[in-house]
Amino acid sequence: MRRYSPRVFRFASKFFRQRSLVEEAAQEVFLKAFTELGSYEGRGSMEGWLTRITTNTCLNLLRSSKRRPELIASDLTDDETAWLDSNLAGAAMERHQSSEKSLVAADLAGRVLETMTPADQLVLTMIDGEENSVKDVVDVTGWSESKVKVQAFRARRRMREAVEKLLSRNKG
Amino acid sequence: MKDKLIDRHIISLMESGPLTSLNETDLTEIRVHTDHCSDCLVAFQAAQVSSLLLKERSAEVFEPSPFFHTRVMATLRERQAEGALTPLWTLARLWRSAGALASTMLATVAALAVLTFAIPGNDLGNAYQPVTSLMHNYSAEEVILNETAQMEEQLSDDQLLTTIYGE
Repeated sequence: MRRYSPRVFRFASKFFRQRSLVEEAAQEVFLKAFTELGSYEGRGSMEGWLTRITTNTCLNLLRSSKRRPELIASDLTDDETAWLDSNLAGAAMERHQSSEKSLVAADLAGRVLETMTPADQLVLTMIDGEENSVKDVVDVTGWSESKVKVQAFRARRRMREAVEKLLSRNKG
Repeated sequence: MKDKLIDRHIISLMESGPLTSLNETDLTEIRVHTDHCSDCLVAFQAAQVSSLLLKERSAEVFEPSPFFHTRVMATLRERQAEGALTPLWTLARLWRSAGALASTMLATVAALAVLTFAIPGNDLGNAYQPVTSLMHNYSAEEVILNETAQMEEQLSDDQLLTTIYGE
């Protein structure tokens, strides 16, 4: 457990913003792993098997938690509004972020993601956030490659539209 | 019409993959188009901000706390102990789910039993009839004679004469 827990934590961190939720998910993963150890046939790596359990556990936890309604500009904190203003310029991607601003951005990202489905959150975080390949997502979810691609395409559109609304209301 | 097609093409370029994975040709095409198309410019800015947000989100990673392993092992032992008590626990759970129905059924049966055996009803009157008959002290002859008398009452005068005197 000591060997694999950092990886499970790292993976569960993609889904939850609060430490308590990450810990809850990780604990559930290890409890499942202990009880289902008999089903691990040693075909793949133990890490891969645990990552798959982690993905399913996190998706189930996300499904059982209530999805937040649409995030609107008036919900944003002053810091978040300032972050959006300062990142509207075209060169946003190349801009170096201070750790404080990164925290604001991570928080805002989490709030936007919470308005989306668990599947959208998964593909966006893995592919766009962590630069994993489509195959990586296929491996941990068991979905088909075409499903992952379509899911990612639609999730990207929904995320962009959500941010676009925040930006336009923020400007107005 | 043509503009809309170009807009759609540019938007689908942005959404076909992570923004950071776009090659220079695609990025140039997007930039050239967004110079004169405000709608696509807004979409491009939003896509850039989305990409940046997701990157910042992914950078946030939690490490296991020092007591995490102890807590997991304690929970595991707790669940295993619960597992050892499975039959009792299953019964308790069964009672929780079906207890209300079973109690209602038992109460109904008890109420019916009380109504049947404890409270005298109309049917009980019939049970005393034999006793009443005994008190009258009927004999077999009496019954037959009564029947004959009843029959006689039902005979017409002609039939009676025929019976007494023959034809």
